[in-house]
Amino acid sequence: MQVTTPFNKTENIAQFLQTEFNRYKTSADFVAFKLVREKTRDYSVRNGKTEELNEFIDCGVLIEIMIKGHMGYGATSELSVDGIKKAFHQALEMTKKASQSAVYRFEKSIRPSVKGTYSTARTTRLDNLTMAGIFDFLKQTSQALKVSDQVITAVSDAMLIECVQNYFSSEGTEIYQDFDIIVHSMSATASNGQESQTRSLHGGRGNCIQAGAEYFQLDRALPECQQIGREALELLVADNCPSETCDLILAPDQMLLQIHESIGHPLELDRILGDERNFAGWSFVQPSDFGNLQYGSRMMNVVFDPTVTNELASYAYDDVGNKAEKKHLIKDGVLTAALGSLESQARSNISGVANARSSSWNRAPIDRMANINLEPGTETLDQLVAKVERGVMMFANRSWSIDDYRRKFQFGCEYGKLIENGKVTKTLKNPNYRGVTVPFWNSLAGLSRTSETYGSPYCGKGEPSQVIRVGHSSPYALFKNIEVFGGG
Amino acid sequence: MATQMHSYLKNISTSLFKTLTEGEEVSLNLHSEESEFIRFTQSQVRQNTQVHQHELSLLYQANSRGYCAAMPLTMHEATDMATLTERLQYIRQNLPLLDENPKLTPMLNNGVSEVYKKSVYPSADVFIEKVQQSFAGADLVGLFCAGPIRQASINSKGQFHYFETDHFFFDYSVYDGPRAAKGYYSAEKWSDEIFARQAASTLNTLSLLKRPPVKVKPGQHRTYLGPMAVSEIAEIFNWRAVSRSAYEQGFAPLKKLYTREQLFSPIFSLIENNELGLNSHFNSQGEPSPKLLPVIENGEMKNFLINAATAKEYKLESNNADSGMWHTEAMRSMEVRAGTLNEADILKQLGTGLYLTNLHYINWSDPQAARLTGMTRFACFWVENGEIVGPIQDLRFDDNLYRIFGSELVALTEDRSAFINTLTYQKRRLGGMIMPGALLKEMNFTL
Repeated sequence: MQVTTPFNKTENIAQFLQTEFNRYKTSADFVAFKLVREKTRDYSVRNGKTEELNEFIDCGVLIEIMIKGHMGYGATSELSVDGIKKAFHQALEMTKKASQSAVYRFEKSIRPSVKGTYSTARTTRLDNLTMAGIFDFLKQTSQALKVSDQVITAVSDAMLIECVQNYFSSEGTEIYQDFDIIVHSMSATASNGQESQTRSLHGGRGNCIQAGAEYFQLDRALPECQQIGREALELLVADNCPSETCDLILAPDQMLLQIHESIGHPLELDRILGDERNFAGWSFVQPSDFGNLQYGSRMMNVVFDPTVTNELASYAYDDVGNKAEKKHLIKDGVLTAALGSLESQARSNISGVANARSSSWNRAPIDRMANINLEPGTETLDQLVAKVERGVMMFANRSWSIDDYRRKFQFGCEYGKLIENGKVTKTLKNPNYRGVTVPFWNSLAGLSRTSETYGSPYCGKGEPSQVIRVGHSSPYALFKNIEVFGGG
Repeated sequence: MATQMHSYLKNISTSLFKTLTEGEEVSLNLHSEESEFIRFTQSQVRQNTQVHQHELSLLYQANSRGYCAAMPLTMHEATDMATLTERLQYIRQNLPLLDENPKLTPMLNNGVSEVYKKSVYPSADVFIEKVQQSFAGADLVGLFCAGPIRQASINSKGQFHYFETDHFFFDYSVYDGPRAAKGYYSAEKWSDEIFARQAASTLNTLSLLKRPPVKVKPGQHRTYLGPMAVSEIAEIFNWRAVSRSAYEQGFAPLKKLYTREQLFSPIFSLIENNELGLNSHFNSQGEPSPKLLPVIENGEMKNFLINAATAKEYKLESNNADSGMWHTEAMRSMEVRAGTLNEADILKQLGTGLYLTNLHYINWSDPQAARLTGMTRFACFWVENGEIVGPIQDLRFDDNLYRIFGSELVALTEDRSAFINTLTYQKRRLGGMIMPGALLKEMNFTL
């Protein structure tokens, strides 16, 4: 074998895999190879000093084999002739045996025949950023977060991901997709000796998009650092969020979590079919609910849309070659479609989307979210606030918990504002709220006319388990009569 | 008993370390697995996946700077050496342009060792038949996971630690409509008899769920938490609660315990117990793991988990802790000491209240107050006068560790259950825990 390394000669690896694929493509009812090459640079600076400098290069192939309508998988990082041979034959033998106990026998149509490409919209590729360039940005922003001696921890970190995927199948499919992804977080933890409070850039790792090197603009980031630091200090002297039932306005950086947990997960068709019951859980949604269930108020419109430019989970094809298209999941509050891949659609006869996705080369594709977005309304944020006699506005997720059917949730945020008689009056610490999914969404009473886009790099699901990247954009949203409470 | 992987690592590490110049230090950490995953739904196979995954992390240190680059191994020596050499060259060129890292500690030779373990279990195709025999007619969903996992920590100072284990687990639940009971089986030596007995026990639990459901109102209830439920709460300690670096940086749920403003119950002890044998015997720096590290003893905080970097930064003594989630120190082999409550007395001692086998999706609701929230899951019952009345609808709890393991803790069970780590995100994990059940005077339910 010619000596190549996974990342300095990527075209050689793709050619090698294409050659190997051709060797095996007629060895089963259906064969596909998915090559994934991914480089992640994960750097972190705390209080102006190096915290973590980690880089992870991943490269491997997922082999898909269909026998008698059952799909089995082999995966290997051993990218040599012998390594592929071993992985293929082991997977073939196991798939033959497992096919005798298959839960469902699929047609080959679950793997469409397509040719296409996708690339992240960007001005400058992420690989143009040097180690020192990234470090300098993180150091300057970390230092800027420390607006006072009371800020004891000021962290700026960035995860830069360059991912390239090739997919070849015996149906003639050839797909090339490449992604540049940025997950950038900044946080300040302030302490007065008695307690500490943390404020961050849109909560944990919520600030994540597809973009190139042009994202890193110090003149935009430094004012954000100042605001984060100031708000951390504000929280130290703020009142606890009151415990009462009142109106609630959620900022887009909390709505991302609300959408994710109480819309995204319950609409995953493999959950509805029961595949996740042992791990992530089932769903309160029944197959008969599609087209019937009034999921939320009439102003609620939710779309699956991997075609949005720069959102975290944008792509042209899912991981089995199904072309991505925008589709309403909830229209005027009524549940209309599921997050179901071609496999789940075949098993259920329920309308779905292009969402068969796997976390990398070492896991099989399952039904996942991609970009799940709540469409904006018509009002300004000031108009939403003016509609509230008494309520709380909450920003940036910090705690999340929901039951295995996705009904009863409790979420917490970093930063709150009290609203009295249509005006924002003071800052609140430890803001939390709880509710039940369908009544909660039916209490939706207002949406701002502008949206913000966030996401999560760590949506967990599946056996064996997988994390996947998801995007969520949302306006500010007003909900009526919600149970809110504070800490302590 | 050197294996092919051990020899391979010997070859590439020897070659790589020869290329180092004075002042350069390199360590290599291996994670390797050959895994068989069989995913079941409706007692049939949904997906089978076989994974050959090998990754090597190269940590380079020179001139008070350090950089870690992980990469896959192809097991083709020339290819892997080319990758390692290329990344090493990249780091050498770029790292001097960065600031020094004040937390960096020099690499040490922590010795040479090899440990091998092997469980006995059926092949995956035979396992599928056994499931279909033992759970005939049931609606089973879950994961069979098996195969070798290898870890190594090697450095240019002469250290070479190698650990290889080959084990299996079957993590499953059985359903009857919406009712479900959870099961779990792992053993050093597979036993048809024990597997069949556990299957019968899980199916029996499911039959108890056929009783009419009881609607329990939120509020304070006397509660028994089974070992799995206790393990799910105990996991929260690894969400930065026992990490010294997290504590120093302002995330301190156990601050009052540490400063002795509040204590846990004297019957509660939490120990990092690497003698359970669920782990490699070294951490990711190759340092020997402490055999027994009391974290909370008889209700009092004894030790945080402290790694070398934290020790250097805050002038403390390291206890060779490893990092878990959040890049902060975490326990790898957690033990809660047994109590005196006999299995046969649990229902009688509970009297009237909740019997919870499993909890779900636990998170801090106010970390300052060590307050956490989560849901009940699977087979959970309402009990009256020591008799199971019927299953409950899922309830949300919101309570704090000072009550759960402190003021409200009545008793811990004599019998404990051991769970090996079933996490498979990105790769299979080692470690596990051993937990008793816990009887609480009251627990707070909110929704």
